[in-house]
Amino acid sequence: MSDALVIETVRKTVTVDCAVEEAFRVFTSDAMSWWPVEAHSIAGDRVAQIVFEEREGGRLYEVSASGETAHWATVIAWEPPGRLVLAWNILERDAIPTEVEVRFLPEGERTRVELEHRGWEAAGEDAEAHRSNYDAGWERVLGFYEQRIG
Amino acid sequence: MDALGDRTRRQVFELLRSGPRSVGELAAELPVSRPAVSQHLRVLQSAGLVTHRRNGTRNVYELDGNGVAELRIWVDAFWDEALARFKAAAERKGDQP
Repeated sequence: MSDALVIETVRKTVTVDCAVEEAFRVFTSDAMSWWPVEAHSIAGDRVAQIVFEEREGGRLYEVSASGETAHWATVIAWEPPGRLVLAWNILERDAIPTEVEVRFLPEGERTRVELEHRGWEAAGEDAEAHRSNYDAGWERVLGFYEQRIG
Repeated sequence: MDALGDRTRRQVFELLRSGPRSVGELAAELPVSRPAVSQHLRVLQSAGLVTHRRNGTRNVYELDGNGVAELRIWVDAFWDEALARFKAAAERKGDQP
């Protein structure tokens, strides 16, 4: 589609003053120490725990103080301490599937962390085509139905 | 801009992704009052995520065509904040004996 929405990948780089293993560990199993849960989670400031299932196919989810869980992402690639890829559903109810890749690269004693948040094309097409797809689909289904009973 | 930083506002945005809705319809699907929904819609509108139009006698709200591009801008700012906090946390841990 020539008029498809092209949305650039989000790219971020940060260099941290610690070893690659430590950077990977803090990013994943110690996410609670830095994730801005107040504004960026389902339960907000009631989030008690962030669980990172450390394997391919594992889930990343929050657990609230009252024990409710909410899914954030699924681990697509788990390659400690160098790389991590997550399938990330943005928003809650009407999820937009995107992909987050994080790479941890040694730079002497320090670690360069490169993050890519990509896959906006699907979300763009979805946003543009969501309603029209449904409309066209139903028209066709109802067309068959009419032919059948007509 | 952090128009989507609030949970209820994200829910309003999500509902509008599946089609245009009036304030009353949004309020019926959310655990908040109509005035609260209107307030969230004002923020979303001023951020360029949502527009509204008259549909007969109804005033309906819908996503601005560039809503997804805006969502990306929000995610971009989110990672700036999150990674700054990650850096602080990683270096704090590293300092500990």
